[in-house]
Amino acid sequence: MANRVYEVMYIAQPETANDDIVKLNEGIQKLIETEGGSVVRIDDIGRRKLAYEIKRKREGYYVLFEIEGSGKEIAELERRFRVNDAIIRFVTVRVDEERKAGEKIRAKRERRKARRSGFKPTETETSTEAQENQ
Amino acid sequence: MDAEKDINMSEIDLGDGVRGDKAPRRFQRSRRQKERVPDYIDWKDTDYLRKFVPERGKIMPRRISGVSAKDQRRIAKAIKRARSMALLPFVGD
Repeated sequence: MANRVYEVMYIAQPETANDDIVKLNEGIQKLIETEGGSVVRIDDIGRRKLAYEIKRKREGYYVLFEIEGSGKEIAELERRFRVNDAIIRFVTVRVDEERKAGEKIRAKRERRKARRSGFKPTETETSTEAQENQ
Repeated sequence: MDAEKDINMSEIDLGDGVRGDKAPRRFQRSRRQKERVPDYIDWKDTDYLRKFVPERGKIMPRRISGVSAKDQRRIAKAIKRARSMALLPFVGD
């Protein structure tokens, strides 16, 4: 039942060495794979200013994962995040359903557009817009 | 914003004289949106979300931005997610 897609983002302490980040990411990838999920994408965003202070820090090292799996591996991953002192914050968002909803909206808009263009030529639409602007 | 509301109120009173002081004023919002809300709102896209977060850090109400109720819910959710990861502020300055 590996059919859910998650986005997992964590913020590490800004002082953590790049090697440690790389090691951490490799460890996460290994963990996910042993638990039966797969890592779709790793996005190393890097150091970024925080919008507010977290643990007296104004900066953080951001990393984003896109993980496909059942949800079991996410539980283990989050447990490890909690234990790790280098990680100051993390979040998991399930995105597959929202992406599907987005697809639906897009399809709906395209249908509507097709219908409207059949009913009214686009030229007249632009001309009425021009009139309104005057 | 209150000042703006007062001005509009007085204008209406001068105009037709029917509407009393206590009459609730309905906000006129522009039906036609100049910009479409994308079909998938990414909570990481702070550049886009910032359009709905004025200086103060609050989420812009629908009556100002003119987005649909559905889109407002999606935008609000994305902003809240972004806030939890310090991508957007809870309170601005």
